Amino acid sequence: MADLVLDIAHAPFGHENAYAGLFVAMAWVSVGNDALVVLRGDGVFAARRGQADSMKEINLPNTEKQVRDILGEGGKIVADAESMKARSISANDLVEGIDVVSPEQIRSLIAEKGERLISL
Amino acid sequence: MVEKKTLGIMLIGAPYGTQHADHFCRIAERALDKGYNVEVFLYGDAVHAQMNNQRPKTFFPVGETLQRVIKKGAKVYSCEICSIARGYISGELKDGKKDYSSTKVIEGVQFTTIFGFAEMLKRADKVISIGGS
Repeated sequence: MADLVLDIAHAPFGHENAYAGLFVAMAWVSVGNDALVVLRGDGVFAARRGQADSMKEINLPNTEKQVRDILGEGGKIVADAESMKARSISANDLVEGIDVVSPEQIRSLIAEKGERLISL
Repeated sequence: MVEKKTLGIMLIGAPYGTQHADHFCRIAERALDKGYNVEVFLYGDAVHAQMNNQRPKTFFPVGETLQRVIKKGAKVYSCEICSIARGYISGELKDGKKDYSSTKVIEGVQFTTIFGFAEMLKRADKVISIGGS
């Protein structure tokens, strides 16, 4: 299985990068590949649980649903602990199944799986 | 014979507002000149790089360079849904096929879905992204 790392540092809704990256991750895992999604900086907001139906409210993709779909297909998603701390987000605020990791762990994961790295 | 390696490049972000498209063009052309295969995916606002008849007076000529890298053999794919959203193609079914015809797009640009992009990523020996975070 081929690896792909999606490094997402933008918040959803105000900018298209978060859901654009999650679309790529979903396409990648849905055909049997391994994806690692790294949420850092404002990207951690993409995994907040309890998002409203954004497609209905503002006609934009719901990143919580995208995150759940990727996890459901076997993708791995990690969130940067320091970015979460700075934004007062706890692990309980995020979709269950996401690993909260240190920047050093992110560095190691990217070194291990980052042959295909896409930053958004 | 040594097999040519393939560089995959994803560009996101519109031309001219930033230098990302300039850098993408320069990297793609340099890689081609060095003997690499180059495959490109225009994503999100980056699809504006495919517009025909761009006439920048003081900026880097993105359209002209894109035409040149296509002529040099790069495969340039554009996100279908992003291009439909921005009015470049209709994408509607015509005789059982999606209509990708357009007078607004540089010749040689091909349209594909996000799954086509996944295939492109798989073919690439190395992938870089430009214009993201």
